[in-house]
Amino acid sequence: MKNPFRNKTRSALSIIGIAIGIATIVALGLITAGMEDSVQTTFNEGGAEITITNATNVGGSSGLLSMSLIDELKNMTNVSDAVGQLSVSESNQSFVQSRSPVLGTTVYGLNASKLNLIGIKNVNGTTYKEGSFEAIIGSRYADLNNLTVGSNLSFLGHNFKIVGIYETGSMMTDNGVYVSLKTLQNISNTEAVSSILVKTSEGVNDTLVSKNIKEKFGNLTTLTSEEMSSMFNDVIAILDAASFSISGLAIIVGAIGVINTMVMTVYERTKEIGVLKSIGWKSRKILTMILGETLVLTTLSGIIGSVFGILIAEVGVRLMGTDGFSLVYTPKTFIIAFGITIIVGIIGGVYPAYKASKLAPTEALRYE
Amino acid sequence: MELIRLVNVLKQYDDGKVTALNNINLSIEKGSFVSIIGPSGSGKSTLLNMLGALDSPDSGQVIINGVDLATQKDLSDFRRHEIGFVFQLHNLLPNLTVQENVEIPLMDAKMSEKDKHKRASLFIEAVGLLDKKKQKPNKLSGGERQRVAIARALVNFPSIILADEPTGALDTKTGEKVLDVLRFVQESINATLIIVTHDRDVARLADRTIEIRDGQVINDFINK
Repeated sequence: MKNPFRNKTRSALSIIGIAIGIATIVALGLITAGMEDSVQTTFNEGGAEITITNATNVGGSSGLLSMSLIDELKNMTNVSDAVGQLSVSESNQSFVQSRSPVLGTTVYGLNASKLNLIGIKNVNGTTYKEGSFEAIIGSRYADLNNLTVGSNLSFLGHNFKIVGIYETGSMMTDNGVYVSLKTLQNISNTEAVSSILVKTSEGVNDTLVSKNIKEKFGNLTTLTSEEMSSMFNDVIAILDAASFSISGLAIIVGAIGVINTMVMTVYERTKEIGVLKSIGWKSRKILTMILGETLVLTTLSGIIGSVFGILIAEVGVRLMGTDGFSLVYTPKTFIIAFGITIIVGIIGGVYPAYKASKLAPTEALRYE
Repeated sequence: MELIRLVNVLKQYDDGKVTALNNINLSIEKGSFVSIIGPSGSGKSTLLNMLGALDSPDSGQVIINGVDLATQKDLSDFRRHEIGFVFQLHNLLPNLTVQENVEIPLMDAKMSEKDKHKRASLFIEAVGLLDKKKQKPNKLSGGERQRVAIARALVNFPSIILADEPTGALDTKTGEKVLDVLRFVQESINATLIIVTHDRDVARLADRTIEIRDGQVINDFINK
């Protein structure tokens, strides 16, 4: 156990080299797992399958949809329900101390009875009454802004009383503020909505329904939950690919570093290996010793790398201001990280260990 | 009683250009103390390596305890059980304590950890270093390190102790002490002690001296 650390500087550099690779793998693993989890929760069962916006609508700031469109959609075949949602943003930082003030806060207006279409099934407290100045907020939003049931929010010059806090598990939804649609329309002087959420009938093909809507109302943009999920999954796939590439690089760089460290160790300890052979150590035992020392070195790198990976991911997520996003700790991330350290240990240790085991004792003893 | 017998042992290097041992015939009694002397390159160390099963002859036989080493499949087992090496430089593992260094040959021994500690302590005490058993080699003097190396060489109760210039790196006084310790422990376990040396004074301490030159025994005599 002590042997790998005889030359502390060299061992430390070797450990740092591998640990950086492992830290990257762990950090990316935690982030992608978090994203996958959030995407799965966002598109959970029971929510609306299709989101409709105006084709000219960019970021919800223009191109609102008429309320009459909701009834037309409801009357369509294979549509079981449709509900309008208005989103209004206020970038004024005095609204509440949001963790991402640049983006401001977006308040959504939605009929309280239709909250299940966005995945809100349970509310701690009560839901808002139609036409009231009451609001419900997501658990993340509440945590980040230190708000509880009974607190007040100021939005567009009006005070909203928080009557409930919900939690869905989706980072986007849990960072939201929902109020009565009528109230939000009144204070923002509009009778329209930003988007319409459509729930399709059970067993029908969402893509087909989406296509029918587009054909019937040419100026609408439709996005099925499947398409949204696919978009997110594409991003996750890119991150996964990046993670795999980094893993590959980590293996190569780490293994070269370990080979260098262990070959130097074997050279320095040639005479010592000769002595061990002279007192009866078998070649196999020498091989096991050097390989074991390499694995000690890489396992330590794996532990240090994992700890730093967690720190980097936690700090990174906070610094990036990704409110509502949480890392997901899965065994898979750490199994991959430690699998790689073991592979690096074996790749890096086999050659020096073989070299050491094959040393002729008489030559090793003569080595200066 | 004969313990070691060499029959026409030939060892050459560099494709036969250098003859290290030239048809040597030798017999060594069990429990005896033998010194091998000769100038550099005479073949002393090669002879020692043959006796310690670290090297094998090109032709001839090395017979120890009636067993021809050429017939042995695994010489490492033979070395572990029968041979104790003491080198000119102690060659202790620097990151291990005195106790741990002495325990190395016992690593694969079929005995409890407690018994291994006891056995090692016994030999550390025999070489007079019990109070330093927890120290690392770099805290010891040259003579003390060599005494640790002696304890390590003998901890397995070998039947043959091979010492290659054991006092070569020590001053005369320390060298004498080391030899006293070596001789004391050798007699205690009734092992055969074979020392290779340049120093004729050291050689004279042995019961018998074998002088080698150009790979051949040129003198073999009993010391009075």
